[in-house]
Amino acid sequence: MMIVRLVLWVALAPLLPGLINKVKAWVAGRQGPPVLQLYYDLIRLWQKGVVLSTLASPAFVAAPAVAWVAIAGAAFLVPLGPAGAGLSFHGDVLLMIYLLALARFCTAWAALETGSAFEGMGAVREVSYAVLAEAAMFAAMLSLAVQTGSVSLAAMLSPVPGAGTALLAAGLFIVLLAENCRVPFDDPNTHLELTMIHEAMALDHSGPPLAVILHGASMKLLLFAVLLTAAVLPLGSLPPIAAAASLAGGVLLVTLCAGLAESFLARFSFRRVPLLLTMAFLLCLFSLLVAWKGGAA
Amino acid sequence: MSGALLFAAVCLLAAMCAAARSARVSFAFTMAGTLAGLLAALAVLFGPDDWEWTSAFALGGEPAHLRLDGVSALFLALVCVIGGAGAAYARGYWPDSAYPASAARGRVWWNALVLCMGLVLTVSNGLLFLMAWEAFALCGFFLITLDNRRPEVRKAGWLYLAASHAGTLALFAFFALLAAHTGTWDLGPTRDVPPHLFWLALFGFGMKAGFFPCHIWLPSAHASAPSHVSAIMSGVAIKMGVYGIARFGGWLPVPASAGYAVVGLGAASAVLGIAFAMAQNDIKRLLAYCSVENIGVILIGLGAALLARAHGNAAWGKLALAGALLHVWNHGLFKSLLFFGAGSVLHATGTREMSRMGGLWRSMPWTAGFFALGAVAVSGLPPLNGFVGEWLIYLGLFDAATTRAGFAWAALPAAILLAMAGALALASFLKAGGTIFLGAPRTKAAAHARECAPGMLAPMGALAAACAVIGIAPALVLPAISRAAGSWNPGWSVTGAPFSILGPAQFVLAALAAAAGFLLWKKSRSNGLRRDLTWDCGYREPTPRMQYTGGSFAGIVAGWFRWFFWPERRFRRPRGPFPSASLRLERVPETVLERLVEPAGALITRLSDAALGLQHGRLQAYILYLVAGLATLGVFVFLEGKP
Repeated sequence: MMIVRLVLWVALAPLLPGLINKVKAWVAGRQGPPVLQLYYDLIRLWQKGVVLSTLASPAFVAAPAVAWVAIAGAAFLVPLGPAGAGLSFHGDVLLMIYLLALARFCTAWAALETGSAFEGMGAVREVSYAVLAEAAMFAAMLSLAVQTGSVSLAAMLSPVPGAGTALLAAGLFIVLLAENCRVPFDDPNTHLELTMIHEAMALDHSGPPLAVILHGASMKLLLFAVLLTAAVLPLGSLPPIAAAASLAGGVLLVTLCAGLAESFLARFSFRRVPLLLTMAFLLCLFSLLVAWKGGAA
Repeated sequence: MSGALLFAAVCLLAAMCAAARSARVSFAFTMAGTLAGLLAALAVLFGPDDWEWTSAFALGGEPAHLRLDGVSALFLALVCVIGGAGAAYARGYWPDSAYPASAARGRVWWNALVLCMGLVLTVSNGLLFLMAWEAFALCGFFLITLDNRRPEVRKAGWLYLAASHAGTLALFAFFALLAAHTGTWDLGPTRDVPPHLFWLALFGFGMKAGFFPCHIWLPSAHASAPSHVSAIMSGVAIKMGVYGIARFGGWLPVPASAGYAVVGLGAASAVLGIAFAMAQNDIKRLLAYCSVENIGVILIGLGAALLARAHGNAAWGKLALAGALLHVWNHGLFKSLLFFGAGSVLHATGTREMSRMGGLWRSMPWTAGFFALGAVAVSGLPPLNGFVGEWLIYLGLFDAATTRAGFAWAALPAAILLAMAGALALASFLKAGGTIFLGAPRTKAAAHARECAPGMLAPMGALAAACAVIGIAPALVLPAISRAAGSWNPGWSVTGAPFSILGPAQFVLAALAAAAGFLLWKKSRSNGLRRDLTWDCGYREPTPRMQYTGGSFAGIVAGWFRWFFWPERRFRRPRGPFPSASLRLERVPETVLERLVEPAGALITRLSDAALGLQHGRLQAYILYLVAGLATLGVFVFLEGKP
């Protein structure tokens, strides 16, 4: 069962970036790359050789692997609708958030290995914006915890929809865009190093380590999409088949929204990024206040 | 038990006596003493009984009373571990050959410090406690000023002494009032004293703990001291302040508002402390500010426990308390590890400026590895010990939030601010680790650095191992933490439940991470590895000066906190077609000290100087003062209508 779950996460994750690209191409009236493009890229990268910066230590290669394990571990803790979580305990939500932080630490550490100013910039942006994203994330999780009276993801992610749900969905969606470096925070398609976050950090990576980084990033996107869907939809009250279908539908919808946001929005200037993240934090905070007040009344 | 503690004290005294004659003998005595102390502390922590001893004779009017219960044993264990590890590190770091004048002095004061901290933790008599506390503070002063030829060290030492005595003054008042109310100097759980006494203790011990804004002495003292001293000051000595707050928060009635105040002070220290850390260029100042953050983390847990106890012993309080107590150990371990690492780097490069380092992993791989492990631990990331402690605190706060009790609202901002502090800590230590150890060497000194001696690496390895073990097997230390929590508030023992899944999960995670890293390295090797220059937009001649600097790394966050930092900035633009010298300087001052305390001090000095004008030596004027004074008194008495 555990193996099936991991295989599901690992196998399905690269689908999402492909879908987003397809949506973008569709809006722009192009044909676009195939949906499975990332799978082809990953297979090709896995077979390629590695060019290592002369300055880099072995941690440059090992850190992406640790980051991947951390993201996979976080995904393992996220309940998949009726299938539940791979591992569920009191306080697992905190382990999930901190595993994502560990992944961030490792990716940024590997970026700094090269001594390049571009990768330094990417790393700084990643870890600095994460301060606000983390605050928003905690506010969102507190809101779910207060609403459901539980500190375990399995119970937290079966909320009763209410006024706070819309706020929470909007807040978490912005956090999803920021944490996964999508437009308007970062443009995954740009090739101008000065303006990038995540891609800038992976500039010097090649071959299998790059494949691991790309796959980890897609898995993180899927994780956030599942989390957002499960935080909004009352999956627990549906029969298993319907719950699984709505989870899949929700993830697809989130992907579609990310693709549309990417099609219709320009990347923000970096000065405005903290403002948008603060807005995400406020949205989550208000949903927390709604949840807090909701119980008192 | 009594024997072990007596043996420890005698060994430390012997180590002080032998310090000047033989470094080796002194070291052996220190190790024996700290080991005996550690065993005694562990015996209390893992056993059922407290240790108590009352003298048959009177000392200061009352029999001397020593006690080692769960709370004090927890702190004593930390004192002994760092006391031993630091002494081992000092043999390589501050040897007689390099510092003939101060090495022996350092050993004397080191052992005295460990001994005095042990006394502070065991003494259970107000008068003797004050004596031990004062001796402990003085030992700290002499250790900080070990290298007293440097003016900055003397300045930092005086600031430490002044701040320490400001706190001690409050403690004199506290213990005197306490004795006046209870009628005895003997300390113990008392319920019938006025609750506001706790505020005095909070300030007095807070000065030593160094929470915001009582931290003014801390950055300069910890940065200027020799690194092994920084390690024990930052990892252990400030915990004596935490001990005081925890001890008397547990024994005395605490006003309801104090719980909120402790949580608030903790949250402020956590966020502002780590924000200041982020803005530092001096590695040891960065670590010192990070201690302010960690004290804040501990106080959040402690404050939540106080709140929970004040409102009917809510069950979440014990989780927060257990987290705070575990974090006392964790912070002591990884902060000492990081200070040892910083000391080795300082030893190898001769500078504390991170902007003059870089690429040190190549020449100092062991130090780099230990520092990186410490950085992961201090950022509170799984699978190391920092996460376990913070996880318990978070769990307490989240559980408090789920109860939706009115007083539990404090848990919401505390949890969010703690999360922000955690993310900032990650950024700060990425900056420190990246600037020091990664990239290319920025100076000649950094390029020619050498790995430190095995004698210095060994204590770092031991501390790193302790961090890893608490991380992947937290169930090992849970009985000790539970015992301490139980003696803080009877009935608050924590059962094995919280770690039954987290512990194995962390272990599996660590194993998988190691395996994955190794496999990816093998795979990359088998695919073919080629070395080439770092990609710089096709630029073929990158220089170390083109690297990202620590200052730029802090830029975004420093910008957010500009309202609080009040940075000093000087900026001269390059002008004209052939620009001459241009410059951009930015320095983040110790805002509370330089913008608040120093101006206030200057004002007092100016007022006193003005008052000095009254004293000029002219007898006629003095007689006039007297007459005027008498006349005023006369008028006053006349108006009152009574003689």
